[in-house]
Amino acid sequence: MTIIRLIDKALAGTLIIAMVSILLTVIWQVVSRYILKDPASATEELSRFILIWIGILGAAYAYRQHAHLGFNLIVERQSRKVKRLLLTFVEVIVIIFCALVMLYGGSELVLLTLELEQISAALGVKMGFIYSVLPLSGGLIIAYALVNITTLWRNDNKESV
Amino acid sequence: MEMTSVTLVVAFFVLLLLNVPISISIGVATLLAMVMSMDIAPATITIAQRMAGGLNSFALLAIPFFVLSGLIMGRGGIAKRLIECAMALIGALPGGLALVNVVSCMLFGAISGSAVAATSAIGSFMLPEMKKAGYEPNFSAALTAAASTTGMLIPPSNILIVYAIASGGVSIAALFMAGYIPGIMVGLALMLVCFVYAKMKGYPLSPRLPLKVVVEKTVAALPSLFLIFLVIGGIVGGVFTATEAGAIAVVYSLLLAVVFYKEVDPKTLPDILLKAAETTAIVMLLIAASTAMSWLLSFENIPQTLSNALLSLSDNPLLILLLINLLLIVVGAFLDMTPAVLIFTPIFLPVAVELGMSELHFGIMLVLNLSIGLCSPPVGAVLFITCAIAKTKLENIIRPLIPLYIAMFVVLMLVTYVSWFSEALPRALGF
Repeated sequence: MTIIRLIDKALAGTLIIAMVSILLTVIWQVVSRYILKDPASATEELSRFILIWIGILGAAYAYRQHAHLGFNLIVERQSRKVKRLLLTFVEVIVIIFCALVMLYGGSELVLLTLELEQISAALGVKMGFIYSVLPLSGGLIIAYALVNITTLWRNDNKESV
Repeated sequence: MEMTSVTLVVAFFVLLLLNVPISISIGVATLLAMVMSMDIAPATITIAQRMAGGLNSFALLAIPFFVLSGLIMGRGGIAKRLIECAMALIGALPGGLALVNVVSCMLFGAISGSAVAATSAIGSFMLPEMKKAGYEPNFSAALTAAASTTGMLIPPSNILIVYAIASGGVSIAALFMAGYIPGIMVGLALMLVCFVYAKMKGYPLSPRLPLKVVVEKTVAALPSLFLIFLVIGGIVGGVFTATEAGAIAVVYSLLLAVVFYKEVDPKTLPDILLKAAETTAIVMLLIAASTAMSWLLSFENIPQTLSNALLSLSDNPLLILLLINLLLIVVGAFLDMTPAVLIFTPIFLPVAVELGMSELHFGIMLVLNLSIGLCSPPVGAVLFITCAIAKTKLENIIRPLIPLYIAMFVVLMLVTYVSWFSEALPRALGF
């Protein structure tokens, strides 16, 4: 489990840095326009890319925190055994989605855009690098879902939602 | 097309009821529906691409900023000062504390742009206060949930930004202006219910505070209230975009909370940033997945088909609008607001425009309608937060919610059928 803790820390650290960067980028945009009278051209694009990273990578963090919105009224009413099966089923669905769309679809998208040498307009960044957050986050969510399943089946008595 | 839409709806609901996170339910339903008409490999790549593409928008950037400034304001003593100001001004009226709750939610919703932030910031302070004063806790909880949704309409509002994107280019500044009157109307309607409720229950009146205290509390709240002028004035005056206004709101609330009020320890800032990233990511994943679903719908021509079907139902525009409202209320009860706006704007907006409604007016109607869903069981996010703060069960607050729903529904009807409420302010300001 120490590896998972390490990943948690790295993930949290990355998100904090991303939040600070996105804030500084947009503030710089305002400052450069009004105070320096020399509007920065790349800030808008940079901040959009950071947002994609915060959104997709943060989704993995939110998954770790069990923070995504869901509807638990039915599941909560089941006996412990049924509830555990249902919760395992949810994790499996999440794993399948992340494996297919984020990990496989995301990786293919990265390879495709790298191959086509798609680059961003202002910064000249390869779009493949921006999209690489999809498989990265997909992999993390799968890892967290596996952790959740282990927790579900290891601690019989613990309520783990 | 039929196979696609049936798969989409059935898969979404089954997954949702089984407690699969909403964003993943939307994603899986989209994937299943897509596989009906294409191979799985290109389907996964398309969804991945639409998800990332859905987030690639400068306007969306306002969301993390307003989330962040909302968190800072909640912890930084700004919510408290707004409540105290409202208390000094209207606390002595019948049902005073309930009225204060509504006004604080309106003010806080107005400066933070998020109902969830308003619920937790105002609820965690007001609910214990109201209990102490003898208010029925379930009523107080229901009221906080309903009142916090006024922040969806009173600018700045994250959901209006999402609508601006979904509608394909309605001005955010115009939408913000359009939200004021309807948002305040909802607040006043809720206050009317509180007033009647307090009279019926015969709650004791709080003593009127001396003028000196009233002035003192108002002055203390002024720096917080100034944020509204800074953000809205800046956007409407064309000084900066909504996104830039968000960043400025963060800087201002940081100055206020850390330097001026000294209620936020700089050491806790990483935690606040992380929490903001988490909340942002929840919304962003919803947006990403909804963008993919919305793409599939338009690829299959579903919005046009549904629009035509709706228009063929009746020649009476009043009836069709009522039908749209009722459909949206059901949608709002199950679907979170963000995906609801992204998925249903392309379906209903063309109908509304066909019936002579402006895009601005429709947006306000849509958001007001879904606000009712935000505090409706089974899914309403705000409802769960208030229940957690009030330490009560969802079942218990349904009954006290009913009169509040009725009040909100009456306002919804007024806003739906009288375009003036939404359009007067933006028009007066030349949008």
